[in-house]
Amino acid sequence: MQDDVEELEVLEIGDLDFDQWNEYAIEQGWSDGMPLLPPTETAVARFTAVSRGDNEPFPPISPRRVIPTLDSLAANAVMAGCRPEYFPVVLAALRGVLEPDYNLHGSLATTHPCAPVIMVNGPLRKQLEINCSSNCFGQGTRANATIGRALELILLNIGGAKPGIMDRSTQGSPAKFSFCFGENEEESPWEPYHVRRGFSASDSVVTVMSGEPPHNINDHASFSAEGILTTISQSIAQPGSNLMYGKGPFMLVLGPEHAATLKRDGLSIGDIQQEVFQRARVHVSRVSKENQREYAGADRFPENDYYTVCPGPEDIHVAVAGGPGKHSAYIPSFGGTAVCSVRVSQPA
Amino acid sequence: MRIVNPSFGLMPPEAEQISTRPVDWVHDPIVLFSNSKPNARELLEGVRDKLGEIRNVDDVGFVYKDSASQPAPAAIIDQVSGKYRVALLALGD
Amino acid sequence: MIATDTFRPLILAQAKARKVTPKLVVVKHPIGGLNATELSGRIDQAMEGLKEIIGS
Repeated sequence: MQDDVEELEVLEIGDLDFDQWNEYAIEQGWSDGMPLLPPTETAVARFTAVSRGDNEPFPPISPRRVIPTLDSLAANAVMAGCRPEYFPVVLAALRGVLEPDYNLHGSLATTHPCAPVIMVNGPLRKQLEINCSSNCFGQGTRANATIGRALELILLNIGGAKPGIMDRSTQGSPAKFSFCFGENEEESPWEPYHVRRGFSASDSVVTVMSGEPPHNINDHASFSAEGILTTISQSIAQPGSNLMYGKGPFMLVLGPEHAATLKRDGLSIGDIQQEVFQRARVHVSRVSKENQREYAGADRFPENDYYTVCPGPEDIHVAVAGGPGKHSAYIPSFGGTAVCSVRVSQPA
Repeated sequence: MRIVNPSFGLMPPEAEQISTRPVDWVHDPIVLFSNSKPNARELLEGVRDKLGEIRNVDDVGFVYKDSASQPAPAAIIDQVSGKYRVALLALGD
Repeated sequence: MIATDTFRPLILAQAKARKVTPKLVVVKHPIGGLNATELSGRIDQAMEGLKEIIGS
């Protein structure tokens, strides 16, 4: 159905109960595999009412290259299980992935298992009860689960990123269901991420990156910045990562306890970026000869026998999230992508 | 039940309408365009060698993207479209 | 356009979105990770397809 852009915006589908509706929706190819709420006109109207002030037009969504309407976007947010007040965050996330540098088409068509990673900053985190603390990457919070899911459904249904056809990921990842969290600004010893990117602290900002699920970095024993940086850097330096092409950014999401130790030992965000950039390198002995030849063909060579994992320190995006515990995470990107931040447009 | 169609979208007003004239494979200038994935270049070079059976290949050009994961820069596309009649692309993994 | 069979549906869907009909030569997937001998088979396959398009 979604190949036909002449289709109708409103559909009469008969009197279906919840199970019948879901069978119908799955048949249409609208589902991520889990049940969906029906996007009735009434439900959709409640969502669009929240975003009526957001009149900036959307560009076509790749790979299908059609322009969404506010109603069709809202229909996906309804199906995902969002509350209406989440909708402006979903729209900001969509605007982020539609920025040209994000490379939405490449990130959807690739065999790499990337998905849109959504991080929320600012006051809306609290208003919407977005989980920024314990288990923030995991299950259990409606906002985290459904905002990420809504964006994925939009890319599937309007963008046309059908798994196996337009979405060519070799193995996919659980992040393709939903990957949304908030920065734990309250427990960060540094300025919030969005403020460092030039936004006001009172702005609510959505940051997106085409990335993998989080990779855990466990360090319970190190009690110094030196020790934690060693563990973090060696965990990031992996020869099988897409970061090995040296083209893209990545996110380093520090747990509050690791962050506190780094801050106590005097490190700024810039220091962390610089240290990790210098230390997270892959020795040539860990890289196959074939890969070394491939990199050389793209004019990429090791420096003093080590490959860097990103173009520069500024490509390491540091944030703080999570709850108590000695864990942090890094989130490798697809590579050919950029980290894009968009202010949430809130109704007047 | 009336629902809003979650796959509804509008065709952009500037949607491309491309028309091409027939290609003369023996005489028209050809470029081989690699997506920069491993072996794409080697595949295209092999095809170029075999094209030698039917045409002069001295004027067959070769270009590649800077990165397999990013779109080809507009400058490369402009250069190719201005200089060649046929672009033979290698896509895949 | 030379593509592997795995990517054929993606290319056709993309072409449809752009309202174009590509001249498509399909070879067996994959291309990457093949040694020279294996790759030569793909080159032969690509050339056969190309000849069909050229009409020679």
